Formats: sequence, structure tokens, C-alpha cells
Amino acid sequence: MAPGSTAPTSTHDLSDDQLRQLLREMIGARVFSTRAFNLQRQGRAGTNAPVDGNEAIIVGASHALDPTTDWVLPQYRELVGLQRFGDEVIDRYALYITGHPGGGHLPEPIRVWPPQISLAAQIPHAVGLAWGLQLQDTEGVVLVFFGDGASSEGDFYEAGNFAGVLAAPVIFLCVNNGWAISTPTHRQTSAASFADKAAAFGFPGIQVDGTDVLAVHEAVSAARHRALAGDGPTLIEAVTYRLAPHTTADDPTRYQPDHEVAEWRDRDPIESMRRLLTSRKLWNDDDEQEANDTADERMELAVQRAESAPTPADGFFDHVYATPTERMIRQRAAFRAHYGQEDGQ
Amino acid sequence: MTDTATTASMTMVEAINHTLHREMARDERVVVFGEDVGHNGGVFRATDGLQAAFGSRRVVDTPLAEGVIAGTAVGLAAAGLVPVPEIQFLGFSYQAFHQIAGQIARLRYRSQGRFEGPITLRAPFGGGVRTPELHSEAIEGQLANIPGLKIVMPASAADAKGLLATAIRDPDPVMFLEPLRGYRSIRDEVPLGDHLVPFGQAREVTPGDDVVVFAWSYMVEVARRAAEEVAGEGIGARVVDLRTLVPLDLDTIVQAVEQCGRAVVVQEAPETNGFAAEIIALINEHALWSLEAPVMRVSGYDAPYPVGRLEDRYIPDQGRVAAAIRTTVATR
Amino acid sequence: MSDIEFRLPDIGEGLEEAEIVEWLVEIGDQVRRDQPLVEVLTDKSQAELPSPVAGIVASLHYEVGDIATVGDLLVVITSADGSPTTIATAAAERQLSPMPATAPATPTPTSQRRPVKASPAVRRRARAAGIDLAEITGTGPSGRITNDDLAAATESPDSFGGSPPVPLIAAATPNPAGGEQPLGALPIGTHPLRGVRRATARAMERSWAIPHIHGMDEIDASNLLAGRSRIKELLGERAAGLSVLPFLVTAVARALARYRTMNASIDTEAEVIEVHGAINIGIAVATERGLLVPVLRAADELDLLTMAGELSRLSKAARDGSISAADMSSGTFTVSNYGSLGGRLATPIIRAPEVGIIGFGSIRPRPFVVDGAVVARPTLPIATGCDHRLIDGDLLTAFQEHVIALLTDPVALMVR
Repeated sequence: MAPGSTAPTSTHDLSDDQLRQLLREMIGARVFSTRAFNLQRQGRAGTNAPVDGNEAIIVGASHALDPTTDWVLPQYRELVGLQRFGDEVIDRYALYITGHPGGGHLPEPIRVWPPQISLAAQIPHAVGLAWGLQLQDTEGVVLVFFGDGASSEGDFYEAGNFAGVLAAPVIFLCVNNGWAISTPTHRQTSAASFADKAAAFGFPGIQVDGTDVLAVHEAVSAARHRALAGDGPTLIEAVTYRLAPHTTADDPTRYQPDHEVAEWRDRDPIESMRRLLTSRKLWNDDDEQEANDTADERMELAVQRAESAPTPADGFFDHVYATPTERMIRQRAAFRAHYGQEDGQ
Repeated sequence: MTDTATTASMTMVEAINHTLHREMARDERVVVFGEDVGHNGGVFRATDGLQAAFGSRRVVDTPLAEGVIAGTAVGLAAAGLVPVPEIQFLGFSYQAFHQIAGQIARLRYRSQGRFEGPITLRAPFGGGVRTPELHSEAIEGQLANIPGLKIVMPASAADAKGLLATAIRDPDPVMFLEPLRGYRSIRDEVPLGDHLVPFGQAREVTPGDDVVVFAWSYMVEVARRAAEEVAGEGIGARVVDLRTLVPLDLDTIVQAVEQCGRAVVVQEAPETNGFAAEIIALINEHALWSLEAPVMRVSGYDAPYPVGRLEDRYIPDQGRVAAAIRTTVATR
Repeated sequence: MSDIEFRLPDIGEGLEEAEIVEWLVEIGDQVRRDQPLVEVLTDKSQAELPSPVAGIVASLHYEVGDIATVGDLLVVITSADGSPTTIATAAAERQLSPMPATAPATPTPTSQRRPVKASPAVRRRARAAGIDLAEITGTGPSGRITNDDLAAATESPDSFGGSPPVPLIAAATPNPAGGEQPLGALPIGTHPLRGVRRATARAMERSWAIPHIHGMDEIDASNLLAGRSRIKELLGERAAGLSVLPFLVTAVARALARYRTMNASIDTEAEVIEVHGAINIGIAVATERGLLVPVLRAADELDLLTMAGELSRLSKAARDGSISAADMSSGTFTVSNYGSLGGRLATPIIRAPEVGIIGFGSIRPRPFVVDGAVVARPTLPIATGCDHRLIDGDLLTAFQEHVIALLTDPVALMVR
């Protein structure tokens, strides 16, 4: 992508093509994620976390950022919606879910970090990165995704507090999808909203409809401008609902009330955007088919690449240190003497 | 690597301060941050004068939160800086352990080489100076069980300089653990010029062929005094300062055991599962047939680190180390 | 065209099996990729398993209600494109198998002896010198072979190392051979040969096959008794029940340490002589069940006090039947104290595969020649039996003379 085409646009100035692109990427995110779920059910992928319900938040936020200057630190549901930051993200995602170490490597110049399994641990990283940009007088902001559940972790509070002190160019994007596995919001906090927590950090906190991609886009755009102007961080709580199991290993029928799920299905973020664009004559069945087919083919390609990627069985010795220690060299030699240099696939 | 033309007598904390000044001047990417490190110059004055010299952007007082001190180091490193955070006392690092073990140590690995962690996390530790709870814990063994970290534990002022400079220039995260009992009691000649001590090279402190005593950090001084004590009885105890636990100088360990046939390992940490056990396991794997006697271990005890009035008998002292030396030498 | 085998994957982080709830396709159906094939119920949830490929269902391998194990074949789908042929076993089959063994085969143990105690450095030196440590008597703690032992063995195989003195004191021990059942009172009739008696009978058969030689003598026990009295006097209560047995066993152990060939076993079929490192002395104890021989391990390392306590424990355990098999195994030599029954001379039978046994008679005043005159002295009869296949009369006599010397002058027992 040429830098000129990637700079974020204010929400009101989004062109028809850009609006259609938002929907395409949201559909793509769900297609990729659904395929990952099926791969797990076919025994071809490990545990993974579906995106359903979060698409508008991820895609809306990514389009409010500049992939050439801004950074995204995901939790673990977001890679499927970050195509804007680089087409190769989806290949890395396929590697990631199929248990290949390369899944953690988002190559240059993609300004996306690998998924983070330790909840909220990425938030201090985001603050450090934003601080680093600030110290080097580098233009750019850092956006960090985390969930309603992760907001209970100490890292969130420590990082939010320090970010306020530093006035670091960072955007805290709390994806409140109502559930932390089986724990509902009201068991997570007694605060009126997650956005309210920003008051303790001394910077603004806003709540936004997380099923509305344009609302998310607008909120993140505003936060980005604040950050670039040196006015410091913003906490955005984007409210949506988790429309799929927490992960492939979860059974949400044990705790999600049917009527609640049904209500939120009516507010499916993809469906909402599709209705909007259809009403504006910007989307038809052919567009829908094409968006699905394109995403399906892209994912199929990514899966084929992932499944045929060489996987040295002793690959876990790589990238532990810049130069392996003598002990690791000995261990690796012993490993090879015992197992040979097999492929781990 | 060392310009030894000029030296000066320094305490260990002076050597650390001197090195931080030099490294910040050498590389503008170096950022020092932590609790009270700026205006106050650190509670032990290890960072004294740095803020005046390099400004409050590069020498930063942080909020009182170890987790985010460690966590922001990850982001700073990814931004291309060289973070040198300080945890005020190593015992407080438990509140940062998830970031140290789960994030700092794994940054390179989980990003498969995209991001490096040239982080030097400094923390004083160790007993003997009547500090309150959680100021004294020697937890190097816990840290050494975390792949991805390097564990550096200087025992002299010159090494504090040479190892700290190497740590700051190392592309991987280093836990640089400073014996607070030695901050002012350890004093030796420190090269004033560029002085780098490579990791993974142990140092012979005293010569001897009857028994080798392995130690690190302040226990090197305790071992040295014990060696002096038994020298009067005709026992030649070779004291070896391991300097860095990860990476470890296995060759020197094996060679010393092969030459002496008897070994004692001294650690300040509790006995069970401490790093001494690792040394003994390595001797078992690589030097067993040279052993004339079981390897002795002198360590703290399997009790939480005690309060002030009890600590002197908890930490290995000269007498206990000398007794272990005598026992192993008497084994025929 | 290719047949794709779809096997039950682990869909729940460590599940082992799943129940087939419903087939969502039939044989012959055309299916799309990711079309649900089957609904399964696991421990964690109910789940639909989607087809990995597009194609035609060729076969279904489970009935509804069946339990399938992870890795079992569920469905075969004939696919139009020839992609992978097996799906969903990746995780199960990804296990690496070790390389074919290139290491030398594990040597078969040639004997079941326990490893001798020696530091690794001593072991290495012994190997280099071609010396079997089992042939050396250790003088270190717990019988450990020290560098000095090794050096002595290298210079003179029979050297008797001079080492620090040992403590001597002992505590009470009961008469280990005492029995309280009426003797010789087996009722008239036929009795099954069982238990200890049967084992004893078999053992004696084996032992009788050994060509025995015996040597007999008498010891002036004056000093021995005086020494024991003096110890009891010094220790009072603690040595109230001190018998002479610990002295006797100590003397035998010392003699065995000196004449190691006596502490051996012989196997003419395998054509080997095994000289033991450890000196483990069996003490014959008559019990209601028959003759039992508890074993005193490392007898040469025990001071009198410890030995007396151990003898007491062993004989008590033998009599009350609580003795363990471990306490009766690994003997290398036997002492029979039939003197406690009142006997004088006897011909003790070796316990195969040991090669020697010593019997002690009762200490009684008997005529003894001292300085050319016959005087009454407490005398201790001794009889030594040896396996003549290995031991000749000269060794037997030397060995017995050493025991006699130690018991005649028990101060010698205090010194090594």
C-alpha cells in the first residue's frame, strides 16, 4: 500500500470505497475466524478465539490509524481484522493458530505485535512503546486492545496511571463484549462503565457503540488526534457482545442467556454495516458474495502456506537469545542426536 | 577490551554510577528509569547525578509500580531504546514477575526475532544490612529458571563496571543483581577507560588446588575470607567467582573440579532448588570422576528471609564456609 | 480423486473421546468444505465437526451413541482434488520417534552384588589400575574404600590398614540362639515338610554337598570375661545385658577383613569365585519355626554398642516372626553360637554359597594349661568349617588363629 492511501481519514470524509472496504474487512475477519474455528474442529489448528461481535471495533480502529506510523498491540482476537496493516497478517494468523512458531512474527514493516495471551500484559508494553516514540520525537500513536476482563488486571491500572503521567501517545481500547469467558460485566466491575476508570488516570474515557464501525472509527480518530497533539492518552470503551464461544474450547450455552444472544444477534456489527451500505446503494448481493469468496480464498491460501511451512522439530531453540548459550547448543545437539533433524509437522 | 592504563579506587556503587554515566554518554538510546532514580539519585545513590547530566527525559522517576517499570521496558526496547530500569529492591520484583518472566524474557522468542529486548534490569538484593522484609531475598535461582534472561551478579567494583557495560550493550535482557551489602564495603581498583567483562567467564579470586569454592556476588567475599582462614591450616582453597549464572562458565567449573577433586558451592539463597544445586548437577554430569568427596553446599536456610536480629546466622558466613572446606578436604 | 480419512480430533484441549450424537450426512452425500458432518458430545461441550474438504461421503465408521476415541476414523470422503489423505491426526501422529538406538547395548549384569562405596575419583583410579574395588576392604566410614585403602591394595594385597581407633562400648543383647519350645516333641505320625523347616532342609541339602573341612580349638576366655565385666562396670545400666556375642562377632569380622577369601562365595558351574566387599555376618538363631539366620550388615564397621543393639533387634525379630527377608539376605559368612545351648564342640555346616562358618561352644571352666600347669580356666570352644573347594587347611588355621588371638586378648579388638 502506498503511504498516501493509508493515512486515516476523518469519519465524515470516508469515501464510498472506504466505507465498502470497512465492510469487506469486517466480513473478512469473520470468514478467517470461522475458518480457524473449523480447522480446530478438524484437528488442524489449536485452540483459537473467534472474533464474532468484535469486527467493527477492530476494523473501525485500524482505519482510524496510519499503518505507516501507528502501532497496534492486540490481545488475542484481533489479527483477523488487521488486514489494513498488511496482507501478510493473515498468513501469520494461519501460522499462529496451527501452532507454528512463525505465527508470532509479524514481519517488518507491519506495525502489529503478536497476540498476547497474558491478559493486559501488553498494556504496559504499549505505554513503553508510546513513551519511546515520544522520547525519540517520532510521530505516531500506539493503540492497545484489551478486554473487559483484562481491565481488572493490575497491569491495566499501572499502565494507565503511568501513561497519564507521561502523557504518552497511546490509545487504550477496551473491547467490552460483555463476557470474560463466563464472567459477566457486572461481576467484573461495579463501576458504571469501564470508560469511567480513566478518571483515575487523569485522561478522558469515552464509551462508544462497538457494533457501529463508524462510531468506533470516529472515537479512535479523535483519540489519535489528541495523542498526536501531545495531549496524552484516551481510554475508549467499545461496547459489543461476544457472539461466539470464548474459544474453541468453550461452551457458552452454559452461561450466555439465549434471549440476550438473540438480542445482540440483531445488532450484529456486520449486519448493521451491511444494512447501512445497502440502504445507500453501496452494497449488493454480488458485493457480499465477492467479499466472502475473496476472504475464503485468501484464508485457504494462508492455510495451505501454513500447513506446508517447514517446522523444524527443534525450532524452540531459536530466538531465545541473540546468540544461543553454550548450554542451549549442547541441548540442541543432544536433541538432534536423539530425534534426528525431523520436521515437526 | 580493557583500557587498564588508568584506574581509580571505587566502591561497587561508585563503579555502577560511574558506568551508568559513561554508558549514557556513549549511547543516547540508554534510558534509566525507576523509583527515586532521578532527582534523588536512587536510594543507594547508584543513579546519582544522572538526571543532572542527561536530563529528566532520559533519567525518569516512575510511579511506584514495579509491573509497569518492567513492562514499559518491553515497549521502549521495541521502540529502539536501551532501557535500564531499576527495581528498588529485588524482593519487590515479585510485583513485576509476570512482566519479567512472562514478557521481558520472551520478547525475542514470541516475536521470533522481530523485537529484541536489550534491557538491563538493575536490582540490589542480599542481606546483612538490617533492611525490612522483602529487601534481602536472593532469588537468582528463580530467575535462572526462566529461559531468555541473563543473570549477572558482580562481586567486585571492577566487575560491576565491566559487567554492567556489557549488560547495557547486550542485545538480550539482563538481570543485573547488585549486592547491597557490597555497595560500599567492596572497594577495588576500577579501570577508568572502556572496560568490558564478557559474560560466561568465571574469575579465579584466590589460587589453590585442594578444594574449589564456587560463589557469586557477595558470597565471593565470604568465600575469600574463608579461604584465607583455612590457608593457615595448609589448605589451598581456590575461590572461583562465577560472575554470570546465565550464561555459565562450565569449562572453568569442570576444570577446577578436575584439578582440585573437591568442591564447595556457596549461595545466599535458601538451600532447596537454589543455583548451587545447578552447579552440583553440572559437576555430576561433567566432572564426577574427579570427585574425591561429595560436593558441599553452604547456603541460606529453607525459611523465609529473617528479620534483622536473625539474619547474620542465616546468611552463610566465613565460619560455615571454612567448616565446609575442612569437611570436604578431610574426606579421604 | 483421493480418499480423505477424517479422524476424531481433540477439540477440547486434552479430550480423549467423544460420543457420536448425530450424523449430519449420509453415505453418498455431496459435501462442501466446512459443512458439518457429525455432531459429537465431549466432556466439555457438544460440537459439530466440519468437513475438511469438499467431496462425496464414502463411509461412516460409527453408529449414533458410540464412543469414539481421539484419532479414530470417523468418515471417509472421496475428494475431487488430491490434497492430504489424512486429516485430524496431525496432533496425535506428530510425536517424534527417537532415532534408532546407536548406543551400545546395555551390558548384562554379571552379578547382583551391591556397589561398593568409594568416591568417583577412587573408582576412576581403581579402573585405571585394573583393580576390582569389590576385592578391597574399605576402612572409611560405612566401609567406604578410601584412597589409602586403594593404595594399600595396590602395593600389598593383604595389607591390614592402620586407621583411627573405634569406639567400643556395647549394650545388652539377649541370647540369640535361645528357644523355648519343647525340643524333640514332634508328635508321632506324618507331618508335611513346610515353612522354615522345609527351607532349612533344602538349604542343608545344598550345604551338605559342600566338601567340608573343620578346625577346632579352645580359647582362654579369662580376659574376654574380665573385659566384658569391666565395660559393664563402667557403663552400668547401659551395658546391663551385654553378652559375649558382640565380642565374638567383632573378632570374626576382623578376621574376615584380614583374610578376605574367607568372605567369599563359590559357583563351580559358572566357575567363578566372588570375593565380597561387604562383611555381612549371619547369626544362626534357633526359633520355634526352625533355624533362622538374620544378617548383621557391615559387621566390621559396627562398634560394640551398635552391634549389640542390632543383634538384639535381629534376634528378637527372628523369634517373634517379624523379621524381614531383607534382614536375612546378603550374608557372606555365618556365626553359630550353639554354646548358648550348652554345647562344647560341633561341626557347623556352611550355608551355601558361603564358604565358611564359625561355631562357638559354651564358656565353662575347663582344664587349661598355663605355664606348664593345668589350671581351671573359663574356656571358649571354637569350631571353624570351610568349603574345601576354595579353602585349604592353612588358610582355615590362620583365620581361626586370628580369631583366637583377638578373643584371647580383647584389647586387640579395640584397635584396628
